[in-house]
Amino acid sequence: MRAKYLIGFLIILAAIGYLAWGGLGKSLVYYVLPSEYADNPAKYAGKRVRLGGLVKQGSVHFNPKTLELKFVVTDGVVDIPVEHTGTPPELFKDNQGVVVEGHFEGNVFKGDNLLIKHSESYQAPRKGEYTPDEVRKLLKEAK
Amino acid sequence: MIPAAVGDVSLVVAVLFSLLGLLAAVAAWYSRDARYIQMAKRAALVSFLGTLAAFAALEWALLSDDFSVIYVASNSTRANPTWVKFATLWAALEGSILLWALFQTLYTWLAGRRMRDYWISPVALGTLFVIQLFFLVNVLFVINPFIVLPHPPSDGPGPNPLLQNHWMMAVHPILMYLGFVGLSVPFAYAIAAMWTRRYQTWVTETKWWLIIAWGFLTAAIYAGGWWSYEVLGWGGYWGWDPVENASFIPWLLATAFLHTAMVQERRGLFRTWNFALVTLAFAATVFGTFLTRSGVIESVHAFAGGPVGPIFLSFLLVILAVGFGLLGRVSSEVRDVGAVQPLSREGLLLFGALVLVTMAFVVILGTLFPLLVEAFNGAKVSVGAPFFNQLFVPLGYLLLLLMGLGPVLPWRRAEPETLRVVVWMAIALVLGTALGLVVGWTLWVSLTVGFVLFNLVALGWLSFGPALRRARATGASPLKTFFSQFAHSHRRFGGYTVHLGVIVAALAISFSQSYRLDVQKTLDIGQKWNVVGRDIVVHKLRLVREPYRDSVVADVEVSGLGVAHPRLNYYRSSQTPFASPAVTYTWLKDYYLVLQAFDQEKGSWVTLRLVVTPLVLWLWISAGIIIFGTLLILWPTAAPVAGSEVSREAAI
Repeated sequence: MRAKYLIGFLIILAAIGYLAWGGLGKSLVYYVLPSEYADNPAKYAGKRVRLGGLVKQGSVHFNPKTLELKFVVTDGVVDIPVEHTGTPPELFKDNQGVVVEGHFEGNVFKGDNLLIKHSESYQAPRKGEYTPDEVRKLLKEAK
Repeated sequence: MIPAAVGDVSLVVAVLFSLLGLLAAVAAWYSRDARYIQMAKRAALVSFLGTLAAFAALEWALLSDDFSVIYVASNSTRANPTWVKFATLWAALEGSILLWALFQTLYTWLAGRRMRDYWISPVALGTLFVIQLFFLVNVLFVINPFIVLPHPPSDGPGPNPLLQNHWMMAVHPILMYLGFVGLSVPFAYAIAAMWTRRYQTWVTETKWWLIIAWGFLTAAIYAGGWWSYEVLGWGGYWGWDPVENASFIPWLLATAFLHTAMVQERRGLFRTWNFALVTLAFAATVFGTFLTRSGVIESVHAFAGGPVGPIFLSFLLVILAVGFGLLGRVSSEVRDVGAVQPLSREGLLLFGALVLVTMAFVVILGTLFPLLVEAFNGAKVSVGAPFFNQLFVPLGYLLLLLMGLGPVLPWRRAEPETLRVVVWMAIALVLGTALGLVVGWTLWVSLTVGFVLFNLVALGWLSFGPALRRARATGASPLKTFFSQFAHSHRRFGGYTVHLGVIVAALAISFSQSYRLDVQKTLDIGQKWNVVGRDIVVHKLRLVREPYRDSVVADVEVSGLGVAHPRLNYYRSSQTPFASPAVTYTWLKDYYLVLQAFDQEKGSWVTLRLVVTPLVLWLWISAGIIIFGTLLILWPTAAPVAGSEVSREAAI
């Protein structure tokens, strides 16, 4: 009698464990900078990714009527074009730290959630003169 | 300057009297002299008053804009309205731990008032003194809010604008701490029970503390969800954010403990489970604080790191070590006598508790997994909502099944008579699901509808069945019989009411998660937007100036629902604007409008986001039902015999 319920309980536990393990693998969202993505694009194919970086100078195109937003995210080494639908947040501008959530379609990143990483003490870097490490540090410190 | 001195002196008094109380409790244990317990109780009152004075001193500093006090200088600003200044006390780390210490000392004093015997009391009181000392010493020495600045600034930056955006944020932390702290009393009694090897009565003695703590935790989680919905502007109330998880884990464990404690009270079983669950539930409150206050995760609550992370982690480990160390020592003695039939009320209660514990571990796993991954291979990951949903959907249905079945089954073993109602419940489940599928709802929503009917039949039978049978036997009016039974055993009906609230919540969550419309559009002023069968027109865009913020407000008319006012708030302290959504509730759907952007030159167009979600209003109604049910349970029984604790406990 006892053994029967124990077996039933173990089966349920195994099912939950299986779901948990599979679920974790599928719903992990990777956080990468453009150069980290460029190192191994295959790893992130078809997965949800949070892409961090700076908005490249002069790359922003926004159409307020159709709400199509196009810009380029860069970390000083690699540039990635981003397509997003929706209004850019207030502080969205050139050289602003951003994190875009979405997925890669070919070489284009399709974003569905756009977050500004704004640091009150941060000075905009001079054109192009920053390294991925500086970008990483900036995004970490910003709110 | 003066408030800081008053605050420091008060904290020193509170710490010294907590130490005195601890010593008195130790003396009471070794001498078996009840006078020492009296002394410890008085010390508890004095240290509560000392902490209250420190709290008052910090409020004084905040309200009088005393920027020489470090906490005021870093978290407050002159222009804020008075209520925001008052609530700023718990808007950052130092103040919120002071508030926690205040509630802890209050609960120690209140719990001490009921303690009489010299077996359990010294250990329980001593444990509570140790816990409150932890918080008080931290506030005094590690994160002192009263440090005086030699060169006070003329103004401060103010609290995080997100926290000023809605009055709910003034209430939510208070509810949360009252819940967290409430769990310390059952924990202290459990430690005392294991220490003194008196394993049975602690559950009954701390039952009310547990229910009160559970009620506050529930209210706090709802308040947080409501705030998230009304303030954050993403149109959702729950995002599996680590902060939300931190409050959800203790709630899940406390709910599990609440149910197994009932079995120990009635049948003397599950003693080991109860010791383990109360330890885990209390540890989870400290774990949540560690998670949110140490800066290991990013959130509104993650105040600048500081040294509290390791300190809270050590405290967490001490709690677990003491709880499980004692349990290991006495485990052979607390083993249950008598077997549990799986198909009985206690069997299903245990199963339900296991499901709740599993849920808690799923949340812990999902919350900590990113830290593990980063520790192992350096990759930065986050665990998305799909992971939690995938596990919580099946576990949730299991819980709904057990929730309906458990109360219907009698204690000890299933009886043939109950089979009839179970058959009716099964029919309701099948009919409800089929109905949902015919209407065209998704499988999961239909299944929820089925389980809701399943539970309603069970609750209906439990609530009205006895009254109907009795009325048939006595010939009295069924309604009258029902009300007299309701008044007589309102605690039982309180439990049913809470379950009813959970069912309503399940329905609301299922529909609102499955059917949601989220659209954006840029509109010229006066232009008509026809969407979801309504016309939306922006009549005007205007600027509202307040001393501490400027706001851009759009007057948006939604046909048939009146004018809504979504706004963007610009706080002095921040360059980022904060959107304040406007929510129009109707019985079946919510119309949630966010002002996304506007024409900054001429004010001729605005971009609106519209989120239409079904049944969210019912989620808030379910909160009301659950809290009403909790109050019914806590309501004192009519006309207890004066001064007789025993007869009251026995009547329950």
